[in-house]
Amino acid sequence: MKSSGPSVPLSDAGEPNASAEDLEDLYENAPCGYFSLSSEGLIVKVNQTFCRWTGFSKDQLVGRRLRDLLTVGGRIFYETHFAPLLRMQGFFNEVALDVMTAAGEKLPVLANASERRAPNGDLLFTRVTIFPAAERRRYERELADARAAADARNRDLTERWVAEREQGELREQFIAVLGHDLRNPLAAIDAGVRLVLREQPGERIATVARLIQGSTLRMSGLINNLLDFARGRLGGGMAVNLDASKPLEPTLRQAIDEIRAVVPERLLEMHLDIDVPVAVDHARIAQMFSNLLGNAIIHGNPVEPVRIDVTTRAGQLTVSVANSGPPISPAAMDTLFQPFYRGEGKASKQGLGLGLYIASEIAKAHGGRIDVISDVGETRFTFVMPIDV
Amino acid sequence: MPASSLKKNNVRQAGSGTTSIVFSHGFGCDQNMWRFVAPAFEKDFKTILFDHVGAGGSDLSAYDSAKYASLDGYADDVVDMGRELGWRDAIFVGHSVSAMIGVLASQRAPGLFSKLVLVGPSPRYIDDEGYFGGFTSQQIEELLEGLADNHMGWSAAMAPAIMGNPDRPELGAELTVSFCRTDPEIARQFARATFMSDNRADLPKVVADTLILQCADDIIASERVGEYVHEHISGSRIVYLIASGHCPNLSAPDEVVRAIRSFV
Repeated sequence: MKSSGPSVPLSDAGEPNASAEDLEDLYENAPCGYFSLSSEGLIVKVNQTFCRWTGFSKDQLVGRRLRDLLTVGGRIFYETHFAPLLRMQGFFNEVALDVMTAAGEKLPVLANASERRAPNGDLLFTRVTIFPAAERRRYERELADARAAADARNRDLTERWVAEREQGELREQFIAVLGHDLRNPLAAIDAGVRLVLREQPGERIATVARLIQGSTLRMSGLINNLLDFARGRLGGGMAVNLDASKPLEPTLRQAIDEIRAVVPERLLEMHLDIDVPVAVDHARIAQMFSNLLGNAIIHGNPVEPVRIDVTTRAGQLTVSVANSGPPISPAAMDTLFQPFYRGEGKASKQGLGLGLYIASEIAKAHGGRIDVISDVGETRFTFVMPIDV
Repeated sequence: MPASSLKKNNVRQAGSGTTSIVFSHGFGCDQNMWRFVAPAFEKDFKTILFDHVGAGGSDLSAYDSAKYASLDGYADDVVDMGRELGWRDAIFVGHSVSAMIGVLASQRAPGLFSKLVLVGPSPRYIDDEGYFGGFTSQQIEELLEGLADNHMGWSAAMAPAIMGNPDRPELGAELTVSFCRTDPEIARQFARATFMSDNRADLPKVVADTLILQCADDIIASERVGEYVHEHISGSRIVYLIASGHCPNLSAPDEVVRAIRSFV
């Protein structure tokens, strides 16, 4: 900045008086630039400080207009904004200008100006005070740049958010339509198979029919899981409709019966010991229980029974489903309840990998959780939830 | 027609008379630009002051960057106001860029204005082959960049807080709100619409009686530019004011009033 140049004594009177403030020296060497404009707007008087900062001599400045010292862009802005403002209110403060120095460099300054008028209102002259403002201007520009960058980021994020929301809506619609379209033919197949079984077919046909029935049951479960996931209900937690007035046992038995109808050869050991009412969402608990049961059937050793234990003890409902067979590897344990987790079994046995995820979401929605213990002896999934009495 | 432009353009009507005289401000400030001129016409005319959308007390929510990307959007607003208020053979007084806005509006709605007063007009600010506009395109780019750079507009919006001036009691309280304050983004777009405009081809189409008021030493619209306008609007008159600078309506209102009076 040019403000740090050596002080040049200008007064013809010589060195400034050290003991008393010399008004002329105060004007000439004040720590700010001064100049005065005639009523026609021409510079008539200018101090040494301003000359020093701009590199012009007094002779070069006197007779010029303030706007002549500005960049062309600055001139237009001055003429359209600041000159009218000065006219209108008689002064302006803190106006940012770029003064062109003799060396052709821009000197960012702040200017104050005030008009001096005669008692009859005629303009006598206008006084202008100039302060260098390079640092401040840089800071203002950085602020403005930062704000522009933040605005741009915001716009970008908003656009992305809108695009994602639209995509999400499209996905949901797609899944909902797909679910509907898949369920209807599945219901028709299921009804057809029931009809066939009611007709007392031979053992061969009955076996095939039960296989078909099992497939439709499993597929219907997959569709439900898929729909739950797609509806995005799970993101913010699953909503449940708790009902203590309905007994829990028939809900569980129906789920067991559905499985049993499909795999009559599999052994199911059941201990149901429910002696207090429990407030649950019956459809959800049935869905969770079917998911656990289905996993046990698929992954368990087919010659060993699947063990089901249900108790209401110590203020807790406990539903556990256990099977024999190879244990779940420690690595898989960590991601078991993540969506799209797929087990290590045969591909043909695998679903979408949503069953356990949804089961655990249902457990959470009931204020409970699902634990798993797996070793060479057995793999046991246990759902525990508090019973509010 | 909904009564929207009155609020949208902050229209202020005064005076008595059958003929309307419409004062239109230029780039930079608002209708207060005319406060020393318009009252002189209230005895004989209905005076109309307004703010272009984006300026002064206009409805900023009506600002539409596509519409106001060129002067046509502003001219459409003038026509809308004229239709709403039933101007017939009115007088349009346009300062600076508003001079061309008036030229456009008068062509759009014949019969709306029978007289145009163009104060410091310029049909094109940038020099062209065989045409002197006063600025190179590089200089105008510099202005626009300076505005985009934001500090000028930013400072204009933030710094000159207009306070009551005890020495000038005639300045009412409403002025303390916003005379030259503009949203920097709007100022930048208005500057672009103004300084990139080229309305030379519209001048010969003007049929209204036209008076050009040319200031001395106006860096924005120089004498050569004023004379170009005069030559290309047939039957127009040009009056050279003693007032210097770009805003004679503020710096020499009496001279401006006399010149307009002798024309209308």
